[in-house]
Formats: sequence, structure tokens, C-alpha cells
Amino acid sequence: MRRRVILGLACAIASVVLGAAAAFETRATKLQAIKTVGIVSAIGEEMSLTRAGLTGLGNTAQSTSISAWGLDELIVQQATKLLSGRFRVQPVTYRRAAFAAIRDSAVAPVNLLRSDPFKELVRTDVAPQGLDAYIVITRAKSKLGNGRNVEGVGLAQYRTLLADYGLIHALYEVRVIEGKSFDVIEKRAAAPLDNTGTMRLAGPSGQIDETFEGPASSERLRAAIADLITRSLPVTLGDMHLIDGQ
Amino acid sequence: MKHIDEAALRLTVNARWTTACLAALGAIMATAQSASAQTAFTLPAPPFELPMLPSPSGNWTVMVGIGGEYTPDFVGSKNGKFLPIPIFTIRRAGSIDQFRGPRDSASIALLDVGNFRAGPAFKYVSSRKSSKYAELTGLGDVKAAYELGGFVEYYPVDWLRLRSELRQGFDGHTGTVADVSADVIVPLIQRLTISAGPRFTWKSTKATAPYFGVDAAQALASGLPMYNARGGAHSVGFGSQISYRINPQWEVHAYVEYEKLLGDAADSPLVKLRGSSNQTTVGLGASYSFDFRIR
Repeated sequence: MRRRVILGLACAIASVVLGAAAAFETRATKLQAIKTVGIVSAIGEEMSLTRAGLTGLGNTAQSTSISAWGLDELIVQQATKLLSGRFRVQPVTYRRAAFAAIRDSAVAPVNLLRSDPFKELVRTDVAPQGLDAYIVITRAKSKLGNGRNVEGVGLAQYRTLLADYGLIHALYEVRVIEGKSFDVIEKRAAAPLDNTGTMRLAGPSGQIDETFEGPASSERLRAAIADLITRSLPVTLGDMHLIDGQ
Repeated sequence: MKHIDEAALRLTVNARWTTACLAALGAIMATAQSASAQTAFTLPAPPFELPMLPSPSGNWTVMVGIGGEYTPDFVGSKNGKFLPIPIFTIRRAGSIDQFRGPRDSASIALLDVGNFRAGPAFKYVSSRKSSKYAELTGLGDVKAAYELGGFVEYYPVDWLRLRSELRQGFDGHTGTVADVSADVIVPLIQRLTISAGPRFTWKSTKATAPYFGVDAAQALASGLPMYNARGGAHSVGFGSQISYRINPQWEVHAYVEYEKLLGDAADSPLVKLRGSSNQTTVGLGASYSFDFRIR
């Protein structure tokens, strides 16, 4: 009896390992088969303004339009440059607002069980169809402090009893969606750029550690956000094995 | 650029803050250039990946450490013991450490809308061996209990956490336990946080009797009077903790939890004659975090 149980367990473990190996092969094979890609970016239309830490009641996050900054165009440009060594990148058209409007469910298992909402959007909204894959870059979420979520591009202030701290963030995730079946081959949120700060977000962010006033603050903010994106994009695409040498 | 300038003017309440933040960018340009990924080591990509699960490639943070806790020998005891507590966590780099109270059960937030979280909770209650402590002589052993249930957590403001747990016991006791707590979380500075707040615990009869009841045989063997412990308000208390992040790698923390037993638990002859209704736990620890990378 015991021998049968052990044999059964061994068979189950072998099946899982072989199945997992097969799954990896499938993912790697799928990536290798990709020749043409289109890039969709939808993180840069709005910037959130958030306060966390010692705040008062009714402290809700606000947002403002930054579409004039052209961050999505910058992302497409940077990603095209990075991916061109391996893929033939073709320009695509899409409704950016439709991609930006999709949100994860607050109930975590729902996100695991439901079909990825971006699959359908790529199928119906991106032109031209028929490319081998689409790289879709959208907003990601992170906790700030204890009871607050921040997402996408934003400016946050963390208040403590003795000092206030400012943060900028560019939180995004990248999906590789297969162009025929529209399966999500790979999905990855951009990781933090470093571990040198004590205020950490689950994505590219930088701390503002000095206050000054100036007429060109918006330009500097745009440049700082662009810097976060420019430095994190090669790392993220490298982690996804989409570019070499990372 | 015009959009954000106009918006900042429109948001009258936030105008000063927004302007200050927008203006505070000079230093970013300097710090951003110097920041770079710092990982202790890089591991090769695994030879396979599990279906349905995300690839492990990328940066991970490991936290290792050691702590210690001086806690009552058993609930109701007037003597204490020191327990070493290993600290180990592994998570995606950048995942945020949520505030956690020393009395919180292990839990997973399946529902998370920012200021409201909920999900399953689990607590292990170690066994109570009568042979280990003289006060328990004759009372018999209580097996280890596994409490399964759920939690809800709400932050009306970022610095106030209200948490409640409801758990059903298995094995050592088969009763129901409810914990309610509130914590005011005050970041003094970015690296130093203190928190404190009240606690309350309710237990059903089946969760109380195995630890505080004395049946006829036990009365005979222990010399304690027979006692029928029923459920109800179990304890009220107060807890406080402090954590200081020395640098991004090192963190130290300390906490104290005081609990006053109530109701039938406090009136139990085990507590009244041989123990104490005042229960204090003191703990401290240090941890070191480092990042590694999987290709």
C-alpha cells in the first residue's frame, strides 16, 4: 500500500515537473517565434497627485492631464529602439483611452481567473492586426504607506510628524500578447530602479529630497518622469527576455 | 506643461502642496543619476516555469533576521519565557511591507481596495503540556490548535488601522475566537515609525474551556477547585511597537503587548490561584534585507 502511495506521488511530481518544463518550452518557443511586433502604450495621459502618511479625513487622490507631455510617444520610441535589435517593430494605431481605462479587480483571485481584459482590446482595437505579437504597456499599481494605492505616473507626498517627503513614480506593466491567439505570453511590472531609498514603491520611483520653487518645475517634472521610464524600460524588457544583454 | 500648471491652480486645497512638489525636483535630477540597481548576486533563469504562474525573472528582496520574545509560559501564567524568533521573508523587489501588528494572524489580502483589505487568516496556537510547568500539574495536556478564519482591515486615514479577525479553532480547541484592534501608526520621520492601540478578544466556551476549565478529575489531580469556564469577553489590552530603518538594508523593531484577562478566563482558579490575569509580551528583533536577481 505504502509503495503504491509513494509511486503515485512520484508520478504526480514527475507530471508536474514535465508539465512545467513543457510550459516553459512553450513560452520560450512562442517568444522565439515572434518576428514582428507592435507597441501599445497607455500610461501617460494622466498624473495622480496623492498624499499619504499623516493626512486628514477625506484625503482623496486627484489627477491632472499630462497628455501634452507625450510620455506614451516617448515610451513607444524607446521601446522601438530597444526591441529593434531583435524584432521588426511596426507602428500601430489604437484608442489610448480605452487601454488606460482598464483596471484590475480589487478581488485578487478575479484577476487570476478571468481572461486578461487587454487580450480582447488588442483583438478589437489595434490596427493593423496580424503581427506576431503586441507589446502592451499600461499602468501598474503599488501601495504607498499603509492605506493608499498609487498607480501609473504620479506625484506623491508622504507626511510624517517631523518632515514631509516627495516622490515621483512611473509604475507600469508590460504584456506580450500573441498576435494570432491573443494569449498573454508574458506579463511583467517594471521593478524599482534601486534599493537605496527607505520609501519604496513597487516600481520605478524617485524621491524628492529638496524643496525649491522655480518657473520651469513642470519641465523638470516631465524630465524626471521620462528619466524613470528611460532607465527602467531596458531592465524590464530584459527581465522579460525580450532584449539581450540585461 | 500648460495642463499641469492650470490644474495645479484649480486644485485650491492642494495648490501649495502641488506647487511645492512640482518645484522640488532639482534634487531628483541629481539622485536619479546616481541610483542604480544593487543586487547581491544574480541567479540563472530556472530551467522551467510553472504554468499559470508569472516568470520568476527579475529582482527579489530577501529579509533575514532574528528576534526574541519574552512571553508568558502559557495564557494565564505569571511566569515568562524567552523565545527566539527567526525572521525570513522573500518577495518581489519593491513590494511594500504593510503595517503588521505582533498579534496579527498570518493573513492574505484577497480583497484590497487601498484602504480596505480582507482575506483569510490563520493562527497556530501551540500545545500546552502540563508536564512542562508546575502550575499545570494535574490539568492534562491541551493539543496544539489551528485557527482558520478571516480578517477585515480598514484605514479611515492612512495613520489609523482598524482590524478584526474571526477564527474557528480545530484540534486543540474547537471554539470561535474574535480579535478586534486599533492601531495609530505615526511615522515620526521616514525611517522611524511608532504605533499603539487597544485590543479586545472574545472567545466562545469551546475556545475557553480547554485552557481555563477544571473538571472533576483535574480538580482531584491538581488540587484546584472544579471550574466551568464559559465563553465571553476574554481579554482587553494595549499594544505598541516601534520600528527604525537604519538604512535600506537594516531594520530594528521592538514591541510590547499587554493583555488583561477578563471574564471566566480571569476568574479561573488556574489564573487566580497560580497565575496572573496580567499578561505582558515584549519582543525585539533585527533584520537585514538584500536583493538578488534571477535572469
